[in-house]
Amino acid sequence: MAVTAPADGLALATRGLRKSYGSRLALDGLDLTVPTGIVYGFLGPNGAGKTTTMRLLAGLIHPDGGTIQLLGSPFGRRDRHRLFDVGALIESPSFYPFLSGRQNLRELAATGAPVPIRRVDELLELVGLNGRDDDKVSGYSLGMKQRLGIAAALLSDPKLLLLDEPANGLDPAGIVAMRDMLRNLASTGKTVFVSSHLLGEVQQMVDMVGIIAAGRLVKEGTIDSLLAGEGLVRARVMPDQVPAAVEALSTLVERARIDTPADEPGWLVVQIAADRAADVSRTLATASIYVAGLESGNDLESLFLALTRTARTDGGEGSIGSRAAAPKTGPNWPAGGAPR
Amino acid sequence: MRIYASGLRKLLRRPATWVTLGLLCGLMVLIFVAVGASANRIESTNGGAAIKELLTFPGAYDRLLEFLLGLGGLFAVIYAASVAGSEWNWGMLKAAVARGESRTAYAWLSFAAVATLIALGLLVAFAIGVVAAVIGANLAGISTSGIGDAATIGQFPYEFARGWLGIIEEGALGFTIATLARSQLAGIGAGIGLYFAESFARIFLSSVVKFLPFDAATALVGGGTSGISVGGGGAGASVETLDPGTALVVVIAWLVVALIVVSLFTERAEISG
Repeated sequence: MAVTAPADGLALATRGLRKSYGSRLALDGLDLTVPTGIVYGFLGPNGAGKTTTMRLLAGLIHPDGGTIQLLGSPFGRRDRHRLFDVGALIESPSFYPFLSGRQNLRELAATGAPVPIRRVDELLELVGLNGRDDDKVSGYSLGMKQRLGIAAALLSDPKLLLLDEPANGLDPAGIVAMRDMLRNLASTGKTVFVSSHLLGEVQQMVDMVGIIAAGRLVKEGTIDSLLAGEGLVRARVMPDQVPAAVEALSTLVERARIDTPADEPGWLVVQIAADRAADVSRTLATASIYVAGLESGNDLESLFLALTRTARTDGGEGSIGSRAAAPKTGPNWPAGGAPR
Repeated sequence: MRIYASGLRKLLRRPATWVTLGLLCGLMVLIFVAVGASANRIESTNGGAAIKELLTFPGAYDRLLEFLLGLGGLFAVIYAASVAGSEWNWGMLKAAVARGESRTAYAWLSFAAVATLIALGLLVAFAIGVVAAVIGANLAGISTSGIGDAATIGQFPYEFARGWLGIIEEGALGFTIATLARSQLAGIGAGIGLYFAESFARIFLSSVVKFLPFDAATALVGGGTSGISVGGGGAGASVETLDPGTALVVVIAWLVVALIVVSLFTERAEISG
């Protein structure tokens, strides 16, 4: 299917989106801007409002305020037909346990936009379920159900794909295959809006990221621009020199961006671009404080943790403490020594 | 139309469909065959006449329909509640809405499929019941010469139509309760509870209860022909009932109200899970 970009070039936009569940505020003026033809990673701690956003975008719940634009047109209560061009996998995939995978797709195809019957075969092959397609879904593993859920989301060849934690239950090969598939979809002009907790996976897959905390967008941008501007540098000094080191580093960055984890005596965590680790070392040396260890990183995980560490989310688990905010190891964290 | 056809396909593959039909037919066969087999032993007692009436055609047709439409009403409540509740429990309504489907159309067409399956189930169960009654009559040594009675058979379409309407009204009640509860079990439990609560309340408040769904359904069929009973009551109970014409209006009103409630709730519902 040829994909036509909306006039304003946006596949999805929200402005001032608000949603409460009783007295609990789930979304507090969310502004998202998702261009057409990209993979957009939607990140946030548990309870931050990701799934609520997904449900609103799929028309499952209704906003208390704000606007949604899907594929260039307003989306409200009476605009369900907009969803004919949208595929969604929200929370756990939904199927009749007594039907086979093939039958489930066929019956799902009876709803929404008309779907040619051969599309079911194509999708079963795409997600690697041919061979098990006539087995009842009640016998499927979590990963197989997730694959079938992705196939269901793709049924009407959507221009915009909303995927909530699509890697749930997938094995490593399945995750790689899914990543390739989503990248391929984006390369054909479709837009993929994906939430995930697998930050390393997101970093490899997405073009653009939006990070949400406590129902508000705290950062949005292309993955390259975000990673270029954010990072952490960890420096180790003698424990009794920590106060002086903090004082010295205050000339380099704001005091609030310097952390001294209580459970790691002698370590300082500085929120600064990873390629400025040398500046940290030089600043300390100028104050006659010599570092015994220096680490730097600018992966998505450290960015995510730095942005969401102080976020309080009502009813969620999203308060991330300072210990977690300064990971010592990870794919981009060398064991120590010279900065990268 | 796609949703209706899909609904029929799903229901035909659904184990609950066959379990419900199997239970209804099984109970019917068991009763007719057991009564026929034991007829000779109790022929001399007070029950002998009742047994003879039960197994003698064409009267057996009425007893068969009475049983079928009476127990069928309870089964319809359970079956429709299980279908509606599972749409929420299994997240299938969520999947349909996320594909841009109309919530009301999905709910109503799903119920239309249930109503169609109920009609088919009644016909199948009736056919099996006739066979069971013939076997019972033979076991009891009762003639089946009245089986081809043209006047009784000519009434079948009329009786079936009214019986089906009464039963789907009861099914709609189960469907609505399960939709409001968003749960199979809650819908089934509450549906059965209401069914029996109405039966008990009828004893004390028949002037009011006669307008309630199960009693109205009973009156719709029972008054139409020869005392056939749908719902919790049985024929011959000395309680106030509606005349067939009023019962038809009341049953249709309950059916419409139930479907409107389903629509309003489904349209406004916040879907999760």
